[in-house]
Amino acid sequence: MNAIETKDLHIYYGRNHVIKGVNLEIPEKTVFAIMGPSGCGKSTLLRSFNRLLELNENARIEGDVRLFGRSVFEMDPIEVRREVGMVFQHPNPFPHMSIFDNVALGLKLNRLVKSKDELKKTVKWALEKSALWDEVKDKLNEPASALSGGQMQRLCIARAIALKPKVLLMDEPTANLDPVSARKIEELIFELKKDLTIVIVTHSPAQAARVSDYVAFLYLGRLIEVGKTEEIFENPKEELTEKYLTGRMG
Amino acid sequence: MLVRKVKERLFLAGITILTFLTILPLFHIIFSVAVEGLPVILRGGWDFIIGTLAPPDDGLGGIGPAIVGTFVLTFLASLLGLPIAILTGIYAAEYPNSMLGKATRTLLMIMMEFPTILVGLFVMQILVVPMGSYSALAGALALAIVMMPYVAVYTEEALRGVPEKYREGAFALGLTRFNVVFRVLIGLARKGILTGVLIGIAKVAGETAPLLFTAGGATRTYFNGIDRPVGAIPLLIYDLVQQPYENYHEIAWGASLLLLIIFLAIFLPLRLSLKEVKL
Repeated sequence: MNAIETKDLHIYYGRNHVIKGVNLEIPEKTVFAIMGPSGCGKSTLLRSFNRLLELNENARIEGDVRLFGRSVFEMDPIEVRREVGMVFQHPNPFPHMSIFDNVALGLKLNRLVKSKDELKKTVKWALEKSALWDEVKDKLNEPASALSGGQMQRLCIARAIALKPKVLLMDEPTANLDPVSARKIEELIFELKKDLTIVIVTHSPAQAARVSDYVAFLYLGRLIEVGKTEEIFENPKEELTEKYLTGRMG
Repeated sequence: MLVRKVKERLFLAGITILTFLTILPLFHIIFSVAVEGLPVILRGGWDFIIGTLAPPDDGLGGIGPAIVGTFVLTFLASLLGLPIAILTGIYAAEYPNSMLGKATRTLLMIMMEFPTILVGLFVMQILVVPMGSYSALAGALALAIVMMPYVAVYTEEALRGVPEKYREGAFALGLTRFNVVFRVLIGLARKGILTGVLIGIAKVAGETAPLLFTAGGATRTYFNGIDRPVGAIPLLIYDLVQQPYENYHEIAWGASLLLLIIFLAIFLPLRLSLKEVKL
């Protein structure tokens, strides 16, 4: 079963044609990396999967995105976003809320828990899953803004997985982190893929090689090549892909 | 070389003098109100705060009804104006490109600069004339209309100042637009919104023109119902200064100092302490 499929997907910002007919199949419970140079449309493509792109009034989408076989455009966007979590390039925990409340907010407002007890348990579970619990268990009521960048990003992961999504989108999640924090996030990705499908956007081929099972190479809005990560890295079929991987481009 | 330096000196001196001239009236007002008003308040003592107005040429009495009236009017105006103003600000921030959103922003800017005496006339037409009497309600409505654009514009700007990444983060959690705004963005913008609320309150606490044809004024009876006329400090000053009695002029100075203190008590801590929330 494919977690996400796109069918002849075109995306426009006003007159700009940014995604040009992309067909992708992202298998369940794998890590799927979308790589490519800056400005090639990676983030745009990712944001169409949870319909976050539609917050931008200029964006227009043609074609289809399917979530476990169902067109996301026939679903309520709120339902789509509950099933497809997202972690952003800039860690964005809500700075005016406590660490606990950051994770609890989505659970409470989406009415996913029935009691305070269940809420506490789920928050703890999510923080453990995102390898943050030991660092924050004694300061759950302190503001999230007191955390380091890497901790903030793991808090964002906890916030997303607390809703038990089937898919987790990660938009360059380590781009603004130091190497140690970045490695922690990458280790986390290995843990998380046991339970859910991860789609990660990265501009670093090295990162794609380290974390992903499948990789897609996007260039100027077109899908150049897609396949198993080792096959693409060892034996790219397209010249553009080879150029990109050997650092002669972007 | 020398010419250039002389020019620069002259320019600097010119700017310094002009700046001084601009802020001079402010300090003159504060100074003269304090010098003239303080002895009056000290002489009147506690009675000046809680008593009622003395007869012409016979002592000070007090301005209690006007003080209470100012607080009642400001409170009622906030009750009427704040919820609508905050919702308007939210609308303008959330739908900036819609026809109505764009129009709202332009109209708010006009409303901010609108002659407040016309607001008073408008409320007189729709409330005072049908009810047959000046009233606290009419005064409060006029003040609410004066207050609303300030609060709405501050709310809108505070919300638009919240970085996009938090809005996206909230939507990505599957929250409804209502929850995104009311459970996340309002909290992030709370200081900016609060600033607007306090500026609106400070503004209307000192307004006179909107009250002239609406509140009516009362100097010897305390607030006794929202359908009855009510006093207010600015209105009282306006009335007293026009009378030919020496003691009324003194009372007006005392009332002015009290008004200034109330205004500064709202405004100064606000300006000194409120900074935008760190994002």
